[in-house]
Amino acid sequence: MPEIILKDVTKMYGKTAAVDHLSMVIPDHSFITLLGPSGCGKTTTLRMIAGLETPTYGEISIGGKVVFSAEKGIDIPPEKRGVGFLFQNYALWPHMTVYQNITFGLENLHWPKDKMEARARELMAMLRISEYRDRYPSELSGGQQQRVAIARTLSTGPSTLFMDEPLSNLDAKLRMEMRAELKRLHMETGATFIYVTHDQLEAMTLATRICLIKEGILQQYDAPLTVYNEPVNMFTADFIGSPSINLVPARAGQTVDGGDQLDFGGEPVRFVEAKRYTDAPVTDGKEYVVGIRPENIVIRPEGRFSGKVYSTLPSGMETVVKLHLHDQPLTSVIFGSVDFRVNEEVRFDIRTDKNLLFDKESGATVRMGAIKA
Amino acid sequence: MGFRSRLRSFCNKPHNIILVVLFVALMLLTFLPLLSIVADTFTVHSSEVMRIRGSHVGSFTLYHWTKVLLDGDTSVSIFYRPLFNTICISFATCAIAISLGGIMAWLITRTNIRFKNVLSALFVVPYIMPSWTLALAWVNFFHNPLVGGVPGLFTVVTGLTTPDWFAYGFLPISIVQGLHYAPFAYILIGGILKNMDANLEEAAQLLYASRMQIIRRITLPMVKPAILSTFLLAFSSSMSAFAVPAFLGTPVRYQVLTTQMYRTLQGMNPGYGYLMALILILIGVSIMLLNQRVLDSRKSYTTITGKSSNVSLFNLRGLRNPLSYAMGFLLLCITVVPLITFAVESFIVEPGNYSLSNFSTVFWTGEGSVDIANGEPGILRNASILHGLVNSFVLSVCCAFIAGTVGILAGYAIVHRKGHWLSNAVSHLTFFPYLLPSMAMGAIYLSFFSTPHGPVPALYGTFAILVLIGSVKYLPFASKSAVNAMLQLGGQIEEAGIMMGIGWWKRMVRIIIPIQKTSFLSGYLLPFISCMRELSLFILLITPSTAVLTTMLFQYNEKGWNQYANAINLLIVGVVLLSNFIINKLTGASIDKGIG
Repeated sequence: MPEIILKDVTKMYGKTAAVDHLSMVIPDHSFITLLGPSGCGKTTTLRMIAGLETPTYGEISIGGKVVFSAEKGIDIPPEKRGVGFLFQNYALWPHMTVYQNITFGLENLHWPKDKMEARARELMAMLRISEYRDRYPSELSGGQQQRVAIARTLSTGPSTLFMDEPLSNLDAKLRMEMRAELKRLHMETGATFIYVTHDQLEAMTLATRICLIKEGILQQYDAPLTVYNEPVNMFTADFIGSPSINLVPARAGQTVDGGDQLDFGGEPVRFVEAKRYTDAPVTDGKEYVVGIRPENIVIRPEGRFSGKVYSTLPSGMETVVKLHLHDQPLTSVIFGSVDFRVNEEVRFDIRTDKNLLFDKESGATVRMGAIKA
Repeated sequence: MGFRSRLRSFCNKPHNIILVVLFVALMLLTFLPLLSIVADTFTVHSSEVMRIRGSHVGSFTLYHWTKVLLDGDTSVSIFYRPLFNTICISFATCAIAISLGGIMAWLITRTNIRFKNVLSALFVVPYIMPSWTLALAWVNFFHNPLVGGVPGLFTVVTGLTTPDWFAYGFLPISIVQGLHYAPFAYILIGGILKNMDANLEEAAQLLYASRMQIIRRITLPMVKPAILSTFLLAFSSSMSAFAVPAFLGTPVRYQVLTTQMYRTLQGMNPGYGYLMALILILIGVSIMLLNQRVLDSRKSYTTITGKSSNVSLFNLRGLRNPLSYAMGFLLLCITVVPLITFAVESFIVEPGNYSLSNFSTVFWTGEGSVDIANGEPGILRNASILHGLVNSFVLSVCCAFIAGTVGILAGYAIVHRKGHWLSNAVSHLTFFPYLLPSMAMGAIYLSFFSTPHGPVPALYGTFAILVLIGSVKYLPFASKSAVNAMLQLGGQIEEAGIMMGIGWWKRMVRIIIPIQKTSFLSGYLLPFISCMRELSLFILLITPSTAVLTTMLFQYNEKGWNQYANAINLLIVGVVLLSNFIINKLTGASIDKGIG
């Protein structure tokens, strides 16, 4: 039962904390992504769990067994933690063939030759690299090297698999393909996957839960759709989703008809609350930020707002439209093959009651609700 | 397009002109002399007329070839024994250099040893200092009265007489050269270890490999090409080394190819010497070609440099402090202590007597008296030594200026026409002098420039020939750094200038050179230092009026005027270390450049 528990894990480099008091529970069989901008401490977190890096303090346990504890002075070396690690640059040994790379770990475990051979065959077949058995890594393409690295990592049957941006060196098409295969692999092996990435789309599509980190501090640890729909703060809201959420500064006015009046880019609107995240009332005169997902800005002739088209990016399946509401830029996604003329006046609505209201000062989410003109 | 307009368009491009000029010049300065030396091995020279019956100067003869290669015992003593000695020394040198350098590289890059910066800096000092420095120090310490003269420091202090095999010959030559080339191994192996992706070892660790298994199965195979390359380079360098065997081998008549070559070329049998030079060149070139193949097969290893993040350092635990201090002490012994002995030796009047009353500044500032060294004045007021110092300086500046400038132009033109046959040819030609053992190259120039060729007068005995050979010999340093700089720069920077209508001269001076000034500067400075400490390249071409410091040092040492030799050596080492330090501070480049 390799449930992984991090308690208060901190890693200091000099005086700066790369990872700051991180606590989380990673359930068995889950597919977790550690997500965040580069340099946020996600790789360090992964390497600490694997044992390649020593935390400054805190405690880590895998499957009920404490593998690291600064307090108790426990630090079990990586090879005894029973984890597999897939490196960003694959780290294939250039002087060994594909077969030798895959069986290296089994050799160290003193497997008999025939069992080793069988295991390697099985893995190579699963990853469709059987015909490259005797090639050297430099003679393989990026995608093939990636598969060899996966086979090597899986060879010893680890119950937990760590991956450090494994797809970032592949081209876009191959990356899509490998994503699907990784998800499939997760099903087939039944192992716990921990996956580091800075690509929010990758995190969204792969994970059962996303762990979003900023500057070493855990921001949100939730299922992908929860992170998307109910981000805990402005950073999370902004980081997840492409195109990014519209963040519009708004000053609150008086409460009228059960809605708080807002000055929304020069347009007076009411914010009608559907869910509240804090008990503090929306205060008159205080600065807030309204968050609207692009797909919730709908361009239609009967729309209540009017704006000017700044630019359009049609991709066939959808069109990203940049609008100007007075001087406030807004991004809208229109599904289907439609296009607009630049500088065209259009009318639009802001739909659903899933728009967000953030406290401008703290960045925290305070309300979810509808925006009414 | 007609031929004329094609020619005009070809000549309109500065890089084409540079390539053509360089091609012609380098052919004249490297290949033609090489042919001349081949001819010289079949020719009767004036000093040989008496011995070769019925011959006259300049006639064809097979005498040299048969005497050197096929004449039983004579050949053995002229050629085969020195060759055997040379090979033995080269192997021993390599073994010492690689094991010391390899261990040091591992200690510095992979363990938690203390004082890494200091140790690393000290370790490369023997490579920066002229190679004979340690040889002279060895002599100061261990020389024995058996070969004449007075006992060394070791004998004075302990009362033990060092045996010949310890004081001279194979053992000290190998040790001294091994120490000299160890930094070289350290730089190459350490470079690989440092740049090697730490993930490669971590991956093995996660797959249940033990420390030993990781070293044996992953680390060693990865550094193998570097080790092989170090081996070949150190081997060919120590084959062509002259100064160390001259200082440590000659007193007991332990001859190697280079000392034998020097003897015969200076003596009555220049034909032998030319032949040996030719053989040395052939061996040198084949070793370098072999090295090229080794480096080529490393292609698959170029992928190993990834984002080499945090290597987990090997914990030396209890050994950490003892090892750190021991290494520090040892390195001080081979770097600082020799310098102290030079200073001490240069101050004592009667050699071998280290009592305080015997110390004097007579060899530095004395006016010279009849009873000491034929009335030679102290080196600071000695006109001929000052002359040598000035010569060394002027020579180094000239060589550095020519090699550096030509190097920049060569690098520019080579990269511009990359892939074109002319560019490839010039690229190989600029590298060719690197393959020639220094002394053999001296022999080539001696052979070629001792007679006039067309408009070129006989240059032997002039200062010009020293400038010429120095510039050609050090061109590879400059052109290599320029080629790298240009490759790094890429074409678009210059093309942006072309699009804006900026002329070639202005593009070079205002765009290209300022951007890559560090690399170009090191293309000037490395030849300068190398030239300051060069002995074997010039020794055959020097005449009293063109003597430089290094050759004077050699001559004083031959005469047994120890104090002068030590004092001059101190002077050279001082200049070399100082200029290396200045260069390092100014540009970050250095002879020992590699890992920091």
